[in-house]
Amino acid sequence: MDNPLPVKSFDVVVGGRVIRTNGRSEGSAQKGAIANRDGHGTPGRPAQREKAESLTPPRSNAVMRGRRQFVVVAVLITAGLALTARLVQLQVFESSRLAERANRQRSYVDALPAPPGDLLDRDGRVLATTVKAHSLFVVPQDVSELWPFSLSLAAALKLDADRIYERLAEQREKKFLWIKRRLAPVEEEAVRKLNLTAGTWGFRDEYLRRYPQGTLAAHVLGLRDIDGKGRGGLEESLETVLHGRDGRRTLIRDARGRVIDLADDEDIPPRRGADVRTTLDAVVQMYAERELDRLVDEWKPQGACAIVQDPVTGEILAMASRPAFDPNDPESVSKDAWKNRAVAWMYEPGSTFKPFVVAAALERGLLKRDDEIDCGGGEMRLGSRVLHDRHAYGRMSVTDVLVKSSNIGMSRIGARLSNPQLHATILSFGFGRPTGSALPGEMPGMLRPLKEWSSYSNTSLSIGQELAVTPLQMICAHSALANGGTWISPKLVLSTAGTSANRALDSRASTSIVSKATDRSAARWLIEQPMTEVVRRGTGQRAQVAGYTVFGKTGPAQKLDPQTGTYSATKYVGSFLCGAPAADPRVLVLVVVDEPTTNGSHYGGTVAAPSAAEILRQTLIHLRVAQDDTRNASATP
Amino acid sequence: MYFRFGSALVLVILMSVGGVAIEKQCLALRRSVIRQQYRRDALGDEYARLRLETQQLGAPVRLFEALENGRLELARPDGPNEPGAKRSPLLAWQSARHTDR
Repeated sequence: MDNPLPVKSFDVVVGGRVIRTNGRSEGSAQKGAIANRDGHGTPGRPAQREKAESLTPPRSNAVMRGRRQFVVVAVLITAGLALTARLVQLQVFESSRLAERANRQRSYVDALPAPPGDLLDRDGRVLATTVKAHSLFVVPQDVSELWPFSLSLAAALKLDADRIYERLAEQREKKFLWIKRRLAPVEEEAVRKLNLTAGTWGFRDEYLRRYPQGTLAAHVLGLRDIDGKGRGGLEESLETVLHGRDGRRTLIRDARGRVIDLADDEDIPPRRGADVRTTLDAVVQMYAERELDRLVDEWKPQGACAIVQDPVTGEILAMASRPAFDPNDPESVSKDAWKNRAVAWMYEPGSTFKPFVVAAALERGLLKRDDEIDCGGGEMRLGSRVLHDRHAYGRMSVTDVLVKSSNIGMSRIGARLSNPQLHATILSFGFGRPTGSALPGEMPGMLRPLKEWSSYSNTSLSIGQELAVTPLQMICAHSALANGGTWISPKLVLSTAGTSANRALDSRASTSIVSKATDRSAARWLIEQPMTEVVRRGTGQRAQVAGYTVFGKTGPAQKLDPQTGTYSATKYVGSFLCGAPAADPRVLVLVVVDEPTTNGSHYGGTVAAPSAAEILRQTLIHLRVAQDDTRNASATP
Repeated sequence: MYFRFGSALVLVILMSVGGVAIEKQCLALRRSVIRQQYRRDALGDEYARLRLETQQLGAPVRLFEALENGRLELARPDGPNEPGAKRSPLLAWQSARHTDR
């Protein structure tokens, strides 16, 4: 076979021998020498030549070998480069992110909630405190059989098994699910006795707010919700002081998530909230609550409230509202019971407002103490409006106008004041704005702007209509009369347990807003004459307390009927305010009864006065206020 | 040379043993501190619980009615615990309503 292609000479190693071809054509190659091991060529014998030819590699094998080497090297270099690039990416560009991620997987920051501070009464009795309680959680993904598990938990905790099962089934893949928080010790013991599989459940410590005095002052204190946030009352308004500062600790975990160490250097211990001493006196509060309960039993009103205040300092000694609730059992609280009627409810004050109008007229010289007022025989027409008194009165002294609570007499006294003067008087006694009691939800009352007053406004306001006040506003205004004419903002916080962080609150607690409400002599005369006579021989006779000269003012007021827009003939608010001793008032008590429904009376002197007097009497004894005869004896040289 | 080598070896071993001992001491102290902290927390919790209980037991709401009605037996002390302490007037006082009954 002819091969026209020229063949160059090349060496072939066969069995350790080097075979060299001469590069000639096949015909020539057959004639070529085959090199021996020692390199000496032997003229080609045919057999040897054939063997040499068969062992001669083709040219493409070498090329392939070169290429393979190239590919291997290239792959190795590429892989090396890729690894280098990845390393650079991980170590340089993503270093911080990955380090953070690794840290997150390794360590776990556990929040340590701070226990809230205590609320105390003025003598240090605990009104609200905090204890630790266990909350039960389960690990749904580790629970093998849901239904038996749910049944046993439901039996121990008195819960609905179906509901537990549903929740577990919904959260099947989760590692954490609360079953019940803040268990009672009995429930905790019952769960332990179930001997559930370890790792499927556990307890966590949480803080439980308790109110050792029960329902006492529940509206003033408020309560804390399931997450420990203050809701209502001082718990809400003093949240920043009571709450303290949460801490944290860092736990180091292994690959399976088990805690193996604590990172001490990163620990921040929780700081307990500050204790707050309130102005409340638990004993006086109890008297007020007890009397309110009796009143509610007797008169079955829509609601009622009582406030006891020190008129000199403005400190609230007791504040109670009905219906009430037990803050230890927040789930049982009815919708109506949340409202603190002492601050979050308004009513037309009626006759209890009249002394302020008299004070304003006296202060401005528009009325003299011995003036006589024509009360028009019990009826007076005022445009299209007819004003009535309970009885037909003729001419009466200023004192008698207040003692008999004559609407006509008061309208004539009010008429001596101009509208701006009357408006200024109402404002100076703190009506139409919140008192600043620090209680959440406090209402400002309702006083129409002067420009919106009608021709009847002067008359209406003089008898305590056409404005709405809160009970707290009313007692603060009367305190201004009792202390000689100075309006003082009510105070509920005495002090906080001495951390420097709470100095701001301390200063706020010790600071009162004080403003001049009326002339001192007018205020003193009103307390010692007309208001004392109200109790001695007027509408408030049921408020007499043996041994003390009591002053007071009754206040029946009609309620507006929302359907007709006029005053209702059947719905009233009965209120009574009293204080003692008249010569140097130490205690003021206000009782307001909303819509008494039984026994057919609605007058403050009947409905509210007995309870107010009883609260006053008990408080005077508790505070060791000297009786009048003792006082007079000690004053006599 | 052997002596120097041996000395160095002994020194290294002694240092290691000393280090291990110190480390063990540190761990023991740490355990002790943590145990003390735990005890303090437990005592604090117990204090809070007992305080709550005493306040509940001594709440005016719980005691006063019985006190006023004379149903509560009082162990009157021979003298005041604190000189100058005020006597509670409530011990000598009964509600007018209860007196009427």
